[in-house]
Amino acid sequence: MADQNKTSAKVEFGNELLNPSELFEARTRSHKIPVRGQKDFIPTGADQQRDRLQQSLDEHWNLVSEERVERLGNLVKAVWIPSDMIVELQSPAGKFWQTMGFSAHGKQCLHPEEALYLMECGNLQVFYQDLPLSIQEGYERFLYSKTMSIQHYQVFGHLKRLGYVVNRFDPSSVPSQYERQLNLPQSRDRSGRLPKRKHSHSPTSRHTGTQEGPTSKRMEEEKDCNREEEDKNPDSLPDLSAPDIDEIQTASHVDPTTSTEGGQGRSWWSKEGSPEPDSELPGQPQSSPRWDFSSIPFPDLGSRRWLPSSLTSPDPCLLPGAVGSVGACDVAPWLQRLNLREVRMSRREWEREQDRDRYRRDIKQDREVRRCRNWAEYQELQERRIQRSRRDRPAHLWEGPVTPLHDPAQVTSTGELLDKISVIKSTRLLEGASSLKGSEEWRICFNIYQPDTVAEFKKSAPGKPYSRMCVCSFDGPVPDLWTLKLLAFQSGDVPVTYAVVDHGDISFYSFKDFQIPTDVSF
Amino acid sequence: MDSPEQKITKTVSREDASKESMANSRHVIGIHFCGPTPLVWRADELKSARELGIIGTLVGSLARQPRQNTRLGRPLELLPEEGRLLADMGRAAVIPDSTNEDPEVNPEQVEQYHAGLENSFQEQGAMVLADRKTTLLRVMTEKHNEDSGSQEDSDGAVRDRLEALEHGFSFPRTAMAVQLCTARAGLSHCPEVRRFLAADWPTPRDERSETRFRVFRDLRRQGFYLTSAGKFGGDYLVYPGDPLRFHAYFIVVCISMDESMPLCDVLAIARLGSNVKKTVLLCSSGESQEDDREEVVYTSLQWSGMV
Repeated sequence: MADQNKTSAKVEFGNELLNPSELFEARTRSHKIPVRGQKDFIPTGADQQRDRLQQSLDEHWNLVSEERVERLGNLVKAVWIPSDMIVELQSPAGKFWQTMGFSAHGKQCLHPEEALYLMECGNLQVFYQDLPLSIQEGYERFLYSKTMSIQHYQVFGHLKRLGYVVNRFDPSSVPSQYERQLNLPQSRDRSGRLPKRKHSHSPTSRHTGTQEGPTSKRMEEEKDCNREEEDKNPDSLPDLSAPDIDEIQTASHVDPTTSTEGGQGRSWWSKEGSPEPDSELPGQPQSSPRWDFSSIPFPDLGSRRWLPSSLTSPDPCLLPGAVGSVGACDVAPWLQRLNLREVRMSRREWEREQDRDRYRRDIKQDREVRRCRNWAEYQELQERRIQRSRRDRPAHLWEGPVTPLHDPAQVTSTGELLDKISVIKSTRLLEGASSLKGSEEWRICFNIYQPDTVAEFKKSAPGKPYSRMCVCSFDGPVPDLWTLKLLAFQSGDVPVTYAVVDHGDISFYSFKDFQIPTDVSF
Repeated sequence: MDSPEQKITKTVSREDASKESMANSRHVIGIHFCGPTPLVWRADELKSARELGIIGTLVGSLARQPRQNTRLGRPLELLPEEGRLLADMGRAAVIPDSTNEDPEVNPEQVEQYHAGLENSFQEQGAMVLADRKTTLLRVMTEKHNEDSGSQEDSDGAVRDRLEALEHGFSFPRTAMAVQLCTARAGLSHCPEVRRFLAADWPTPRDERSETRFRVFRDLRRQGFYLTSAGKFGGDYLVYPGDPLRFHAYFIVVCISMDESMPLCDVLAIARLGSNVKKTVLLCSSGESQEDDREEVVYTSLQWSGMV
């Protein structure tokens, strides 16, 4: 049943200003809101219905006509400054300071919507020209701009009353995608200086692929760093042309000192190999990174035709400089680790192999390929072959300006084929969004943080918001794809919610971006 | 629809109308614009509007419990059609915005305000003291009734305690109760003053607003109560009686007479209506062929099955 205030059973409207005795009475006011009863469907004109309606109406007017009465000690005093559109506090802020307000030139200030909300909650008394502002004056003075209209305030108030922390949106505070990738710690001060990069002695890497000598040497012996750098100077080769087959290259800067060190050390080929005394190193001052592969033997241990018993020591100039010379390699223990047994196939497997081989052409047996002397000729042969195969294709399809999308003779997978014939390509919401320019009509207004974070909320480091809000109305246009892309991009990785205000009623909509999974198994 | 108007007037009219509420019904309701939105601030004007069948929506925080969304308080936001109808009936006037006038401090008003505050402080202090005295007296007489001591001793004790209370009593300024006004104070209720100050109602911009207004006026004339229906995909929700007590009957969708509606839209709105158990009304306004008057044409959609 209704919790009626006994002193005013009949609602009196007269003057809205309360006299001191009414103010005094207000201390013992109830703070409960009566529950609304069930509704009827058909008006019957019965007395009971009429009485219930009257009761509901009386309760309604009781609640609506009640004025706000507060203890003076509980009110924070503030002043409205129209030129800056902010409210400046004159007495210390209360608990609301944890989530609302900002500091400006030494004073605590509030945005107009925050001040109006606090006025409605009965926490703040705002003065203008030495007189206190009523709620009506607050609405009329604070909400006349386009950035903070009454619709924006309705959304703000609605969310604040639910307990969310709501701030104004600042586009410059959104980290760019690159910053997010780097996972940079968020700092308010965006003009922080980067730490000075220490001067590193890393060598300028020139053609490291061919200059294995110097780099690996450096890695192993840092103490010789300086000496190496001195030696390197005459070595520099700015341009690398195609390997000249005739020249013999050497890695030059191998010091006699290092070579002796390397000579003492290791033998890579046997466990107790004795290194042979190395021959004189051809100390060519110039090194050009060209190898004569015809003169370098690469042993083929797997070949059945030629099984060496031991491998001779390779030329030390082919090895990394620090290694020096190594002894001959005994092949036997290594051969034991290779599987050199002949494959014995059953008759059926053998027949299957034969069948396969019938259609497979060994490229080494191909006479035309053998006739090619170099890579360029081989590519020309391939071209000719493709042309020949093309001649088999019907001219009316392939010779015209419009040719079929796909040649069945070409091997391709199901996925690729589907991609080729697809007319619509799937796209993501943020594709092409970075090139969109801003709009006057559609803006993100607020950042929203969840209510359960209020205890640890810090205004200086609020963290990532739960959502960002854009306010619009049912009378205006529906947000189109361009708007969705623009706002999603502006918001970074925080989802955008659209609050639609319709004469006091607020609905929230959000758009999710997701991919339809493609099921292609091939 | 058997004469809903009669039924409505029965439920609304009251025999115990106090003088003030009778006077209220002759008041001119002041409408204040906040941007393009018409608002009504005074509680008595909200009541007058409701008596005329204009419901509106409350959009402010409720004074008693500001931090909840189930029941809101003043101001009352009106639909543009509601405001226009009230203005046309002569029962409301647009009060122009006066925030930009008086840029300087008004010393007289400030003095008045401070004097009022001081007076309130003194009176409240006296009331608190009186309240404490009565409490003390009551406690002491109860105690006296329990023990049966001599009458004179107890009287003396009571007097001493009361004096001690008066001497030791202090009412700090911070304990004073202060009112935070909802509506702007100062404008007189006098209808003539209101009409003098009134500005014109902003004229409708397009055909759609005009259609909406005509439909609204016609339905209101028939005694229905209307509120906005954005969430239901329509223009208005129609109630047979006060929305506090009754469920809505119809969802009104206003379309112009010549406009053709795609079939999928008709299906969508019909589906919606059947899901929320309300009938969909398609309304258009146009010229009647017979007597050249404006008339509103209604078409209702009902989802029926063929078995």
